[in-house]
Amino acid sequence: MRLLLVEDQVELADEISAALKRNGYAVDWLTDGRDADYQGTSEPYDLIILDLGLPGKPGLEVLANWRSRGLNAPVLILTARSSWAERIEGLKAGADDYLTKPFHPEELLLRIQALLRRTKGLINQPLLEVGGLALDETRQICHCKNQEVELTAGEFRLLRYFMLHPDQLLSKSQLAEHLYDGETERDSNVIEVHINRLRSKLGRELIETRRGQGYRFTGKHP
Amino acid sequence: MLQSSLWLLESELRSTLKVHLAEEAEGLLSAMVQGTQGLQLDATRINPRYRRAFSGYYFHIQLPNQVWRSRSLWDNTPDWPEALGLGAELIKGPQNQHLLTYRGSYRRAGQNIVITVAQDYTPILQSFQRIRLISFLLVGAALLILLVVQRYVMASALRPLELARRQILQLQRGQRQKLDPSVPDELQPLVEQINHLLDHTDITLKRSRNALGNLGHALKTPLAVLNTLIQHEELRQHPTLKASLSEQLKQIQQRVSLELNRARLATDVLPGSHFDCQSEIPALLKTLNMIHGTQLTLSWQAPQGCQLPRDREDMLELLGNLLDNACKWAKTQVHLEIQSTTLGYRLTVDDDGPGIAPEQRQQAMQRGARLDERPSGHGLGLDIVGDIISAWNGQWALEQSPLGGLRVRIELPTAYA
Repeated sequence: MRLLLVEDQVELADEISAALKRNGYAVDWLTDGRDADYQGTSEPYDLIILDLGLPGKPGLEVLANWRSRGLNAPVLILTARSSWAERIEGLKAGADDYLTKPFHPEELLLRIQALLRRTKGLINQPLLEVGGLALDETRQICHCKNQEVELTAGEFRLLRYFMLHPDQLLSKSQLAEHLYDGETERDSNVIEVHINRLRSKLGRELIETRRGQGYRFTGKHP
Repeated sequence: MLQSSLWLLESELRSTLKVHLAEEAEGLLSAMVQGTQGLQLDATRINPRYRRAFSGYYFHIQLPNQVWRSRSLWDNTPDWPEALGLGAELIKGPQNQHLLTYRGSYRRAGQNIVITVAQDYTPILQSFQRIRLISFLLVGAALLILLVVQRYVMASALRPLELARRQILQLQRGQRQKLDPSVPDELQPLVEQINHLLDHTDITLKRSRNALGNLGHALKTPLAVLNTLIQHEELRQHPTLKASLSEQLKQIQQRVSLELNRARLATDVLPGSHFDCQSEIPALLKTLNMIHGTQLTLSWQAPQGCQLPRDREDMLELLGNLLDNACKWAKTQVHLEIQSTTLGYRLTVDDDGPGIAPEQRQQAMQRGARLDERPSGHGLGLDIVGDIISAWNGQWALEQSPLGGLRVRIELPTAYA
């Protein structure tokens, strides 16, 4: 899952990105409203965290521009402005959720998790359950046939992305775009390696290879 | 005026009649002829009307040794006047006639003769009466017309004032945001000043809200950083330090949120402020659905075209906090109802959650009490609700909801005391 964080307060952005990365998200960080306006629709983000008090361009205007250009990704507004009138304005501009500062980092993570599931049409419950698998996103562990399967950070990211896009054909470049932030060197071999490890841990039929096209998560396991 | 002109006319008429009566008396005098037994009246020379009974013309001739009366008097004896000349007052004649009299004294054939003639004055009196009545009616009608015209003139002259008065009332009720500037020149400065003041308070409120927003941003962002910092590995080894830092941070946060939210309130109702239910409530419910998920059914009901004369942001804050609280506890549905009562408005928020036991309700409404113990968001919500309601001179109570959970009932007066 690749997120865009737009926040001009460096310390807060550092802390949020660190927390997000610990939880297996790829994060791009921008501080200026104008940059955010452009990059929000030029890169395929799965979710955007937007602060409203931005230099360059007001957050609400940026959001309205994204929506007018057809951005579908969920947007979570992060703001110190907590009155209901301002919340309504934010949601009218096209936000999907609203978190007021100060907040607990866990709260932000839970909101992101819930938003990602909601946009994929999944119910918000403690575990992400698709097929016969249940993924514990906070502990980064997979439950499979009453067994807990430990996952590395790379495997966890990949599995979560697959589970949020079940039965969809995903090309290697698509996977790379959504699993790594803009600054990481994208090596498609790494994805192959992670897929093979997931297959060996959870069963071969879990992820199907379509030669020359990409991969498909079937949710089947022995 | 009318009376005096009538009086003048009558006195003129009487003097004419006096001449006429004097001539009549002289006519009678000339009708007296020397007969065999002294003076006698020559019937042929007397006007026949003196012979017809109650004709309205009468005479009374007094000689030293006898009295002649006109036949027209029949057997009536009017109270003839003593003074010479035209009788000062009308005397009563036969058949309720009022007689105008003239008494003249003459000498004929060595005898003193006093002739009194009388004429029925009743027809004249009646016509005067009629004239008086007609002119009274005319004057009355004229006065009435004048009154109506004057009322109309006054009303049309005062219409701009009445219009302004009505607009100010609408302003107070929140049905209007500004006074109509198209008024006569005399009212122009007043209306302009009021509009200017309205603009000014509106801008001041917006500016101070904006400043508070900025202050909040400036305070809360570092707090958010601190919140994430205390989750660091290094602090995890000092759990008591971490716990106490966390507690202090929580207190600062609560205080800052509470005071900033409270400072945002317009509290006192500004003229022209209004909350349009039809346009605001759906957006608010949509927001709440987004926050709490679509499994909750949020419904609302209000009179058609309902406009509450309260500040929009304050109203949103009040309803937002109440509904947010209801959503946190509700199982499946939350209902908001706005009713118009004789004293003002009644707002009720119902949920189908667990509710609050009657003995705990009073405590739940006290300052600082938290109905909401979850980590997310607005435990302070009900404090703000209490602040807003008391600033509006309203009342609120927690009750048993027909939906099964808690009902919050709020009574707001229409106008400010």
